[in-house]
This record gives sequence, structure tokens and C-alpha cells, in this order.
Amino acid sequence: MRRRIVHLAVFCFCAGLTAHAQEFKLFDRAVQVHGFASQGFIYTNQNNWLTMHTSQGSGAFTDFGANVSMQVTDKFRIGTQVYDRNLGNLGEWHPSVDWAIADYKFKPWFGIRGGKVKTVLGLYNDTQDLDFLHTFALLPQSVYPTDLRETTIAHMGGDIYGKVALPHHLGDVSYTAYAGHRSDSIYSGYPYLLSQYAVQISSYGGLQYGGDLRWNTPLRGLLIGASRMNEDITGKGSAVSPFNPNAGVAPYYESSKADWTNQFYGEYARGKWRLDAEYRRYLRDQIIWNGTSEAEGDVRGWYFSAAYRLTKRLEIGTYYSHYSLTTAFGGAFAAFSPNQTDTSLPGNHIYDKAITGRFDLNRFWNVKIEGHFMDGYADNAYPDGFYPQVNPQGLKPHTNALVLKTSVNF
Amino acid sequence: MKKLRILPLVAAFAIFGSIHTLASDLKVIANPSVKADAISASELRSVFLEETRSLSDGSHVEPVLSKSGVAHQAFLKQYLGKNDDGLQNFYRTLVFTGTGAMPKVLGSDVDVIHYVAKTRGAIGYVSIDAPLEGVKILMIVQARPNAERKLVTHVDPEYPETLQRLQIGGTVCLMLTISPKGSVDGVSLLGGNPILAESAIRAVKQWIYAPGPSRATAEVCIPFGNKR
Repeated sequence: MRRRIVHLAVFCFCAGLTAHAQEFKLFDRAVQVHGFASQGFIYTNQNNWLTMHTSQGSGAFTDFGANVSMQVTDKFRIGTQVYDRNLGNLGEWHPSVDWAIADYKFKPWFGIRGGKVKTVLGLYNDTQDLDFLHTFALLPQSVYPTDLRETTIAHMGGDIYGKVALPHHLGDVSYTAYAGHRSDSIYSGYPYLLSQYAVQISSYGGLQYGGDLRWNTPLRGLLIGASRMNEDITGKGSAVSPFNPNAGVAPYYESSKADWTNQFYGEYARGKWRLDAEYRRYLRDQIIWNGTSEAEGDVRGWYFSAAYRLTKRLEIGTYYSHYSLTTAFGGAFAAFSPNQTDTSLPGNHIYDKAITGRFDLNRFWNVKIEGHFMDGYADNAYPDGFYPQVNPQGLKPHTNALVLKTSVNF
Repeated sequence: MKKLRILPLVAAFAIFGSIHTLASDLKVIANPSVKADAISASELRSVFLEETRSLSDGSHVEPVLSKSGVAHQAFLKQYLGKNDDGLQNFYRTLVFTGTGAMPKVLGSDVDVIHYVAKTRGAIGYVSIDAPLEGVKILMIVQARPNAERKLVTHVDPEYPETLQRLQIGGTVCLMLTISPKGSVDGVSLLGGNPILAESAIRAVKQWIYAPGPSRATAEVCIPFGNKR
């Protein structure tokens, strides 16, 4: 593993120096090839974070992707991207198709795309893996938890989208409406969380549909928007029932009773400044343990961030990220796990203050250094970075983290 | 003697040349396959932000960017409303979410002109003084909301020979008042060298727009440079 990380670091270094997009002709049409890679290192003063052994310092924080795309006609384009990552115990180098789409734009105000499509949700859901686009090494985890990226990142289905100019100099409005099937990797955060209960998930996913509306206001640089996502999710696998452990391994399933997300956001970018604010509420009412129990989680996250470009190569940024979770259990599982309604407890919240410096070595290669000062660990029934499996000694209420990250793109 | 006759012109340029507050330091150029002689600023923005790959007349278009320089900065500020970092991130978002392509980015005016000249539908921008060959200049019409009127007859302004010889160029911006029938009834100078403006005003008064329900206004910027 260590050798692999060294290889990736060397790759990042070489790619940073030499990276160039490739373009060639196929049937007289230009085909573009692009790619990216990032390598991170995290050290925490206590508590292991993001499924890594960060309290000893961990470099198991790597991802990369490559895409190929072609503009077939003025209105029609096709393309696909492969993505792979290793984040502690997540991803584990299992590559996936990140997106694979056919897109037909009839007019600027109306287009359709189908295939595996990135889900538009808030400012950064669809670009959360693209480190080089962001000031921060880790986006605010209250709204964009990297351990749960699979839950929102893409759907197999279709979108309609467009952009409409408003009359009377009122700016323009972009819209996206989508429906499809979400399919999580079994190497993602929620299946990993369930493994602590001896649940082995073999498939996890289901219907995902929703929409996004964003308004580029007449005030130059100000964007505001809202997103909504509904889901109907089913998980299948095998488990040893906590109600009857002597019965051995038996089939397991869980399914949604209610599952929706509302997100509201604003961005103001002017000159060297960029200010972002987002609020996400995620309500997840899941029938678990083969219909015998119910777990309702109510996640509320918001953040405010500010970034300022000091020089052509140096950008600094800071954010405050606020995450809280309440849960209520019903049925047989309620006997094992009490309801959690007090968000002042460290197990039900994470308040994270972060500061960042981003140094752009050139157009294609950057290095980031970031400090996190976290209050709480929110290891409740739905995860957000802290997992009991990598913290068998128990969690402490405060965690400081140093994050180093470098990424290249071409 | 000849030099003495040129002096008042140079003096006039020196005195009045600084008033062109809306003039830009660039020319928008296109491959000759692009049918239009003029496009609106909003259409130009749509092309460069990859919202469209064809103009309203059906011409195929593709954007070509400069890597840096005064013309590049002026173009971003005036027509795209983004800085260089913002634009790069915008294109990367398109590329890595599967919603668009990275446009051609070239290092110098010469490269941009050469590429635009040989590539069907290419639209780029170069500095005002760049010598052109094999490309056409696109006039940018800053349409007012009540003036979405198509330009039907376009007359090129005369570039005064003396200024041409002295390689004095620039951009003249005018506000046109268009009658319901489509003729240009009124012209006011928004900015630019007055000597060039005189020639520009003479030309735009011969322009004819498509008829409309009422009077309308349109803002046009006309570049003057070498080998127009």
C-alpha cells in the first residue's frame, strides 16, 4: 500500500509537470481525453477520521479519473468517465463508471441527457471529487460528506435541463430535472457502517429523482438556488440478527419509508473573493432488519465559506461547517439503540472550523494545506466521517486535523 | 509638407482618443464560413460559455480562446463577466461532469488568427492591432431589451487612409435609434476616436434592420485596425 501511495505521488509530480489534454480525430470529429488525480495525507491529534488511521497519519486518500468525450454534432455529444478511489476502508481501488452520457441540446433552454449522469444537488455535489476546482482540500462535510459520496453522486437515468434568460435584466435561470436509479458501491460509507453490526451489504440503491433551480441574479456574481431530491432505496445482503444471534447468517434487507433532501444555496463571486453558503436537510426514514424495525434520521447541515485569492498562485480560505443529527428508532431495534434527540451531545453533532491555503504551482497542479478544528463526532445511526470500527477505543469529543493534498488535472 | 497635414489628425487623436470609455482593445474574428457579420453580445457569450454551437442563422460555431494578454482580459471582462480562474474552472466543470468540452486555447494572436482562418465555424478574439488574414471581423451588437432586431443590410465603415497609414486604430461605440421600418434614425457616440467615429456614423446610417413593432435602440461597437 505504501509503495502504491509513493507511486501515485510520483505520478502526481510528473503529471503536474507534463500534463496535457489529448485530442484526436475520429470520423472527422474531435475526441478529447482528460484526466485528474489527487493524493492526500491526514493527521489527527485524536480519533480516526474518514475510515483512515489518521491518528498515526494516513495517506490512504487517493483518487483519480479519466474521461473521453466527443461532440458528434452541434447538438449531440457523448462521453464517459472512469473514477477510482481509495479512502481508508472505502473505495478500495474498485473503479467505477463515474458518468457515461449521451446529451442532446435542442436549444440553450432545453436539452436532454441520458445514461449515468452526475446528480445536480446544491453548488458542488456533481464536482465534489474534482479537487482542483475547489479552494478546500475537503469540502464542508456537513453538506458534502466524502465518505457518503455514492449516496448522491450520480444516477442511471435521464435529465432535462436548460437555461432561460429573464426579461427586464433580471439575469437567467438554469434548471435541471432528473430521474433514475442510484446504485451505491458496496465499498462506500453506509455499507461500511453496517458492517459493525455484522451486516454484509451486497446491493444498495434505488429510485432517485428531483430537480434543481438556480438563478444568476442581476447582481453580478450572485447566484442563488434550491435543490430537491427524493429517493426510494433498498439494501440487500446478509446479517447475523441481533434479535436471534444463534440463528446464524440470514438474508437481510432494508428499504425506504421516506427519503428526501432539500438544499438551499447561494454563492457570491466577485474579483478575488468567493463566498458560499449552503443548507441541507436530509430526512431518512428506513425500515431496517427485514421489516422488524424502523430508523428515522434527520440530518441538518450548513456551512459558510470565504475564499480570497492573495496572488496569482496563492489562495486562502476558511469555513464553518455545522452538522447535527437526530434519530428515532421503532420496532425491535429500539431496544438496542435509544433515540437521540439532543444535538448538543458530541455523538449527535460535528462543528468544524477549517482554514486552508491553496498554492497553484501551475494551471494543472496545486498543493493544499488545511487545518480542521472539530467539536463532536456524530457517530449516531448515520455516518459523517467518524466510524466505530476504526475507533474501537471510543471517540473523544474534539478532533484537530491537518490535511495535505495535491492534485493534478489535464 | 505632407507630415504637417497629418499633424492635426495626430493631435486630434491625442486629444480625443482618450474619451473612448466603452471601446475595447480587441477585435472579434471569425472563420469566413460564419455567415453573420454581426452578432449580439449575449449570443457571443452563449458561444463562449458553450450554451450553443450554432448561431441563429444556423452557422456552426466553436470558440477559440487566447491564453493571456490584454485582449484576453478585456474579452473576459466585457463579454463573459468572468476572470481567468473562473473561466478555467467553468470549462473544467463542463469537461469533468460530461456537459461540455475544453475549447481551443492558443498562445498568441498569430496562432488564434491562423487557427480561426483554417477552422470552420471558429470564433476568436485578438488585439486591435493584430494584422488579419483569412478571417472576418464580427461586429458585436449590444442589443437593448427592446431591440432584438436583426441587422439586414450592413455597410462597412471606411477606415481613413491617413489613420491606416499611421496604424492608428481603435473601437467606436455608438447608440443607434432604429425606426419601426428598420432604418437607423439616430446615432449618438458612446465612445471612441472622433475621426473614426465620423466614418462609423456615416456607415451605420446606411444600415437597415428588420422591421419591428416600435422604435428600438441598439449599441454597436465597431473595431478599426490593420487590414480590416
